[in-house]
Amino acid sequence: MQYSNPKIPEGINTSKTNPLKEFAVLTIGVIFVVISVLALLIILVDLFADKIPFQWEKEMPIERVLGNKDGSQLPDYINVLSQKVISNMQLPDDMDITVHYVNDDTVNAFATLGGHIVIYRGLLEKLTYEEELAAIIAHEVAHIKYRHPILGASHGLAVGLVLSIISSSADDIVSGLLGNTSMITVMKFSRDYEYQADKEAIELLIKIYGQADGALGLFDIFKSVHNAVEPIEFLNTHPLTDNRIKQAKSMIFDKQVTNQSSMTNFPQDYISWLASEK
Amino acid sequence: MIDLVILISLLALGYGFGQYAEKKHYTSIRKRELILRTIPVVASKIPPQGNPNYDSQLVSGSVVISVDYFKRFVAGLRGLFGGRITSYETLLDRARREAILRVKREAKDMGAEFVFNIKLETASIHKGRGNGIGSVEVLAYGTALIPN
Repeated sequence: MQYSNPKIPEGINTSKTNPLKEFAVLTIGVIFVVISVLALLIILVDLFADKIPFQWEKEMPIERVLGNKDGSQLPDYINVLSQKVISNMQLPDDMDITVHYVNDDTVNAFATLGGHIVIYRGLLEKLTYEEELAAIIAHEVAHIKYRHPILGASHGLAVGLVLSIISSSADDIVSGLLGNTSMITVMKFSRDYEYQADKEAIELLIKIYGQADGALGLFDIFKSVHNAVEPIEFLNTHPLTDNRIKQAKSMIFDKQVTNQSSMTNFPQDYISWLASEK
Repeated sequence: MIDLVILISLLALGYGFGQYAEKKHYTSIRKRELILRTIPVVASKIPPQGNPNYDSQLVSGSVVISVDYFKRFVAGLRGLFGGRITSYETLLDRARREAILRVKREAKDMGAEFVFNIKLETASIHKGRGNGIGSVEVLAYGTALIPN
């Protein structure tokens, strides 16, 4: 047997692919697949979710969770204003809205399942004019009118189900990527809902007050609250305030609203009630 | 948001340190392979015929190399699509060559001229620890022939 000792060529057992290129191709592939599958799923879920009777939502024990956490009662002024807003929004007959107030510094308001709207004291304190409060109420009522809470909950459920199936078989660090991508997909829908609710609120302001400065005032408040740089839009449940302002201004322009009337101040008894809450 | 930042930093760290370590390791492997070329290592079970005046002795070399975060991430993605896990190919190539180099080093130190019946074994030593970053062990062993 002849024996020789040749020099073994380099790189015969490895591939020459650039690891970064492979990473990019695979990551983009996964993100693309996840986004398209989830978007399709969400669209399918939406076909059914808004057929869920509102009555079922109302039967959920949401009220027990929200409550009037500290027993604070809404002042008549807010009740009257809410009624005025709601009666102008053409809600379906079976839909009724309950406005809650929470005595807390949080600058926020939200709408949830069962027609419940929650407004925090922190947000009320930032407001100067009635139109701004009306814009908030109209925005939240619009969420309920278009069934956004039940749609959002259904998206969460559907996406969670798919993710739990995938992540049980996928590598756990990859599951993180899948989870983040699906969050981003769901947020896109959430941002669309915000635009829809803004649109409805602006239409309502124009209908009641003849102008929509209340919405613009509200967005200015949001900007001053997040005076730091706002994060990237696709990582958020809400659109950037600048983009919301853009939509509002183009709507005001399209509807040719001429701004003549000035905004309404809050009545004195409401101002003193709010001051006493703190 | 913060998740994404953490993920990207871990990937960048994994890529940076992983590539640096791999490059350094390959340089060292090539250098030592050149030095230890004089000791042939063969898989044949039969010792070379002709010269019977050899003592034989077991030589072994083992190495454990950890996967970096970046490699593991890319391998995880490959797990979804299928195909060659190229990020692990260099890892195992390095481990095999390093293990054989250690065999040769041991053989040289005992004054051997030749190693036959070389065997390689591979084990992943993170099994059962789903969250642990993987690492691989390669063990090489063979029979060294020492002229007496």
